[in-house]
Amino acid sequence: MGNKTKYWKSLGELKDNPEILQTKENEFAEQLPSDIFTNDGVNEASTSRRDFLKFVGFSMGAAALASCEAPVTKTIPYLMKPEEVTPGVANWYASTFDDGHDYCPVLVKTREGRPIKIEGNNLSKITWGGTSARVQGSVLSLYDKARYAGAVIKGAAKSWEDVDRELGTALNGAIASGKSVRVLSSTVMSPSMRSAISEFCRKTGAKHIQYDAVSQYAIRKAHWHTHDKAILPAYQFGNASVIVSFGADFLANWISPVEYAKQYSKNRKVSRENKTMSKHVQFESILSLTGSNADTRVPVKPSDLGANVVALYNELSGQSLPVSGKVNKDAIAKTAGWLRNNKGKSLVVCGVNDVAVQIVVNEINKWLGSYGTTIDADNASNYRQGNDEEFAGLVKDMNEGKVGALIMYRSNPVYTAASMKFADALKKVDVKVSLSTSPDETSALCDFVCPDHHYLESWSDSNPRSGHYSLGQPAIAPLFKTRSAMESFLRWSGNNQDAHTYITNYWMAHVFPMQGKYMKFSEFWNHSLHDGVAEVGTAPVVTEKKEETKKEVKPEEKKEETAPVMTDKWDVAAAAGKIAEVKGGAMELIIYEKTGIGSGNHSNNPWLVEFPDPISKVTWDHYITMNPADMQGKYDTLERQDMIGDIATITVNGVTSTLPVFPQPGQATGTIGIAVGYGRMGIGKVAEIAGGDNAYKYVQMSNTGTMQYFAGTVTISDKTGESFHFACTQQHHTMMGRKMVNETSIGEYINGNPEHWNHKEYLTVFNTEGGHEKVPVTTQNLWDNFDRPGHRWGLAIDLNSCIGCGACVIGCQAENNTATVGKSQIRNVRDMYWLRIDRYYSSPMTEEVAKQEGVGKVDMYLEMEKPHTENPRVVFQPVMCQHCNHAPCETVCPVVATTHGNDGLNQMTYNRCIGTRYCANNCPYKVRRFNWYNLNANYRFEHINPAHESDLLGRMVLNPDVVVRSRGVMEKCSMCIQRIQAGKLKAKLEERKLADGDVQTACAQACPTNAIIFGDLSDKNSMIAKHFADERSYFLLEDVGTLPNVAYLTKVRNVDESEMPKEEHKNKEDKKEEKKEHA
Amino acid sequence: MITLCSSRFRPGLALVTTLALSLLLFTSTAYAASDGKKIFKTNCASCHFLDDKMSTGPGLAGISGRRPDKQWLFDWVKDNETFAKKNPDAMSLKNKYPGSMNVFAGVLSDEDIKAVVDYIYSEPGPEKKVTDGGGTTTQTGPVVEEKGINPVYLLLTIAAILLILINVLKSVKKNLQNARNRELGLPALPEYTFRQWCSHNKRTVAVVLIFFFAWGSKAAWDGMWDLGVYTGYKPDQPIKFSHKIHAGDNKIACEYCHSGVLKSKVAGVPSVNVCMNCHKGIESGPTTGTEEIAKIYEAAGFDASTKTYSKTPKPLVWNKVHVLPDFVFFSHQQHVVVGKQECVTCHGDLTKMDVAQQTVPLTMGWCVECHHKTEVPGLATDQKTGTAVNAYYEELHKNLKLKYRGKADSLLTVERMGGLECGKCHY
Repeated sequence: MGNKTKYWKSLGELKDNPEILQTKENEFAEQLPSDIFTNDGVNEASTSRRDFLKFVGFSMGAAALASCEAPVTKTIPYLMKPEEVTPGVANWYASTFDDGHDYCPVLVKTREGRPIKIEGNNLSKITWGGTSARVQGSVLSLYDKARYAGAVIKGAAKSWEDVDRELGTALNGAIASGKSVRVLSSTVMSPSMRSAISEFCRKTGAKHIQYDAVSQYAIRKAHWHTHDKAILPAYQFGNASVIVSFGADFLANWISPVEYAKQYSKNRKVSRENKTMSKHVQFESILSLTGSNADTRVPVKPSDLGANVVALYNELSGQSLPVSGKVNKDAIAKTAGWLRNNKGKSLVVCGVNDVAVQIVVNEINKWLGSYGTTIDADNASNYRQGNDEEFAGLVKDMNEGKVGALIMYRSNPVYTAASMKFADALKKVDVKVSLSTSPDETSALCDFVCPDHHYLESWSDSNPRSGHYSLGQPAIAPLFKTRSAMESFLRWSGNNQDAHTYITNYWMAHVFPMQGKYMKFSEFWNHSLHDGVAEVGTAPVVTEKKEETKKEVKPEEKKEETAPVMTDKWDVAAAAGKIAEVKGGAMELIIYEKTGIGSGNHSNNPWLVEFPDPISKVTWDHYITMNPADMQGKYDTLERQDMIGDIATITVNGVTSTLPVFPQPGQATGTIGIAVGYGRMGIGKVAEIAGGDNAYKYVQMSNTGTMQYFAGTVTISDKTGESFHFACTQQHHTMMGRKMVNETSIGEYINGNPEHWNHKEYLTVFNTEGGHEKVPVTTQNLWDNFDRPGHRWGLAIDLNSCIGCGACVIGCQAENNTATVGKSQIRNVRDMYWLRIDRYYSSPMTEEVAKQEGVGKVDMYLEMEKPHTENPRVVFQPVMCQHCNHAPCETVCPVVATTHGNDGLNQMTYNRCIGTRYCANNCPYKVRRFNWYNLNANYRFEHINPAHESDLLGRMVLNPDVVVRSRGVMEKCSMCIQRIQAGKLKAKLEERKLADGDVQTACAQACPTNAIIFGDLSDKNSMIAKHFADERSYFLLEDVGTLPNVAYLTKVRNVDESEMPKEEHKNKEDKKEEKKEHA
Repeated sequence: MITLCSSRFRPGLALVTTLALSLLLFTSTAYAASDGKKIFKTNCASCHFLDDKMSTGPGLAGISGRRPDKQWLFDWVKDNETFAKKNPDAMSLKNKYPGSMNVFAGVLSDEDIKAVVDYIYSEPGPEKKVTDGGGTTTQTGPVVEEKGINPVYLLLTIAAILLILINVLKSVKKNLQNARNRELGLPALPEYTFRQWCSHNKRTVAVVLIFFFAWGSKAAWDGMWDLGVYTGYKPDQPIKFSHKIHAGDNKIACEYCHSGVLKSKVAGVPSVNVCMNCHKGIESGPTTGTEEIAKIYEAAGFDASTKTYSKTPKPLVWNKVHVLPDFVFFSHQQHVVVGKQECVTCHGDLTKMDVAQQTVPLTMGWCVECHHKTEVPGLATDQKTGTAVNAYYEELHKNLKLKYRGKADSLLTVERMGGLECGKCHY
């Protein structure tokens, strides 16, 4: 469709900035400094002709000499080879990623005892094998050289015996002085860990307080008001036909994004058989990943979100509760209409951590009949158990000197509660203990640092939802002298069990009786450990029965004891009253999480810090986002290629941050966005390079006793005069402004002619009778067709399912040893990602429309800019090597380093490549990456690239089946040829045909929404063949004649046709022909 | 436990049939009923010696004295588990040694067991190691042979001597002439320098120079082809391990120590515990005595006097003989299990080498040559029917046969399967 619709990646491109137009044409952002080779330059060149000849002679001689002596290669076999380890063969272990913020059951791939890759666990009935960028990147944090090497007391390394003894004395002292002991942690979903902590609490009289960096306490509290239970219900996005979200970024950050993305994608997929899809409406302030996937997106200032929720409630229920604030009446009316038509099949979620707002949301969901269909309140989730009020109480107690000892587990309040001056409060505590694995702001201030294992080194369990359990097992022996936090708590409570025994005993006593499948515990345990997950009665009825019998151990029961302390319950009117109290300002601030580093748990992980933000495409930098309309005239809107912006200072209640300003189309006007996770101190080199400022210091307490992640009144200074060069991949590898993405509306998809919305390219040729004939462009061919005797590998990418989350990007990086390159190289357009996700903005205004309507050029651009920078439509498109059957790169390589396989793969041979870069220049998809440096040895990348030779720990993450590339060679997506070869070998050994799904590329496996499908096109019954044959499929730049082995499936939006960009799919000849046909 | 049927890999080792990883467990194959010696070597020798030394099991010298009843040993060998339950004597023997012996019922027939018991009772004594007549351990096999004097060099030397002679004679002649001239009062002969000679014989000089330039270029070109090619590379090893003694004389299957060859891309250097399977008992070798085997004990932390692992183990650092560059992906499993290649093809006949040596160039050209001419029959391992096809290759072979039908050269080689594509080995 709409090949005249303007899709743009940045404001500069939108406005046809000549610099950017120029770079679009070029593969490489910079020209070679060729002037020194021309006549003029040669006289000034520092290298004379004689020097040049000397260098040539020397290097030839040196090369010949160096290769004369045989290098001796040493090999050291095992002394006692473990039975399960075979060098060269990977072992897989089921485990669980749960860092108190994200949860995901995983499979860990280990080679020679080293974990090197994380995959999702398909057996989990929560995440169904999905992963996220953070989960994929979590393996690298194991090899973080900044980690604690052992226990530390007041800065001095100590043995664990010393720590236990000295801490015991200190704790006794604190208790004797009449002060209390507190344990502070983020959400603990591990039932065994809870039990261990409560053992400790019983022993010392301590109290356990949970506190989340990004809290959702309001949801629990609101459910106490409306449902008498302080629970976080389990959301079922998969059952909803209409999804309305108020500021909940549930596909990237909100509560359990992997789980929700999986459910969400189920109803977003369309096929010939099932042409229905859910409708997604998003009200939000910043342009989030979730918002960019919405069918209808409404930008709303943070303070107005509550008002819009109340307005929706009024609209649905017919009541007229007071609404103060700006409400988008039109959008609310439409949304109410969709919801009303889908009662019992709709879901409203809200990310605002405000009890009053959540109460109204609960009432809306009640009215819609969502409870029992799209919301499961019987089998509640155990995510986000943090209690903001208790935490505030703790800080108060600390300030009053009532807390004698504070033990912090998976919690970094000095950083995340900077707004509450936690560091000052901590000074008044006598005994400060941190269990952090690696240094953080809090552990720096603690007397005792008792580092916990990394999750890949320890035994753990998790209970994310009633009836769902998962286990974590060590995939590697501890790298450092750390100790499992569970064991620490047990030691301090006089229990000498190790974590494994303790968890086994806990499961025997509490989990085993809940299931009826296995008679013997050993059987149950072995199966659970093998599978990594255990479902113990998911049917609500069964679970309820179990709950009755196991009352004392249910975590949520405990929750109820500690939940809200207030006596009166608010009804919806009272809640609306509270909402009306919220005051906004001319400029408001909203604090959000980045898809890569999240709440700050991954701030020192080079993969995730360099990971381009799905929306802004900025890599390392911390910045302020604003709508370009707000920036106009005040700050540079980055329309130039160089991406140099202005710096400004924001002030909220006297607290300031000075950060560069980044234009973000789609952000609500009058809103400033700042991400958390930056400005980390002393946690490692990567975080230091990333820099930035701590946004948690703007978190405030709302009038309903919860952490509020926005500020109503903000002042922002004029530009300071300094400028900032963004490390942003937004303009990188832009594909010459041609038609890339294809989208249509659901109505047209169902009723329209595919030829209209998935327009194929035609070519007019002479036919045998001497006349003209129009034939599909793919049938015309300059080259001989390749032989395909066996497999033909292909990828299909469903743009409808792709949410742009970037799990594939990090999955690819982990699998293929692609380097991280650092800020300066990103600025030079030298990122090394084999798989990038292009993010396009689009809007209905086009040059054609302007011409037809007689809009002047200046007005047209103004008009073009206005509506869509306010609320552009977003398309994500993962682009990797297209493995063209007639690949332009192959024909230009002077040394035949890139060749074609008979299985359709475009192969890249690094050892043959001499680095002419002709291939990259000739690639229309711009997917080839050149090694400008020896990224693994050059001093510039010492602290950036985990595979750098100076980092013996970081190098352990490398995949030994993929070559680490050196300087001067080209590299690109190989379609995970190492996996293909391994899969083929397995089939040969088992003497069977290769079945569909036997081989998965890293990107396809990482994808939480199954948007990427890999398979053998020669197998006509395979998933991939079906995707290629789908009416939605099209190829990138089909008219170039490259015949790619990667197909894209048209994006379908659940919107009215009127909301879609105008149709301009037919050229004049087409129209003429149609007329003829009619005649 | 993984059992490996070696008969599929090397007909020459048809007798060494099945190996187990943790113990040497030999199973199933029919033997000539009378050949007790062979049966002993394949099934028993890894745990029992014929002298009185202790290996994994006790030594068998003097067995006829200890157990006069042949039937007793027969029952023991057949099924020591059941036998021990009935016979208290056997039970005490069983308890005496820590490891348990395999049950051979079902593995060996009664005749086989009888034959092997007869062989043991004949008390053959320890087998004499094959040594060369002189008793010294000279290197045999395809080790670099002693070279005679190259005739070219001989000629060149003679030519050089002659040239010197001519020069000397000329100078003598000139001196005599000068002496005579001095007597006659004639002027001395003018100095005739090399330079003058050159300028008078330009054509000869040019021819010689061209010859040397051409010869030098050729030598450099040939020499460059050998850069990085280490055929004949034979590094010293931390232990003077002899493949000849192990794989040659004692016929231990390659896969017993290099077990990765069947399961992984790397064949692997055996871990020290694999050495200790046998060397726990074998303390002395035929050529180096106890010296080299003591090094294994040192690595394993094994105290030979107490037979316990009581010392600190120390890793062995071997020198790799066959080295492929990091950018080459080579899978032993693919070549040996699927492709049914013999070890000898790429590693030479190690059964004749005391010191392991690289016998092939291991260059890409050498790989390509083999891929170019080797047929991929795509046969299944289960060859009962003779023509069973590996189902993986079925479709591929059908398509390729169609393509090359009627052509003079219709062999379905590795190359035609795509085995010469860069991406098959480089990624």
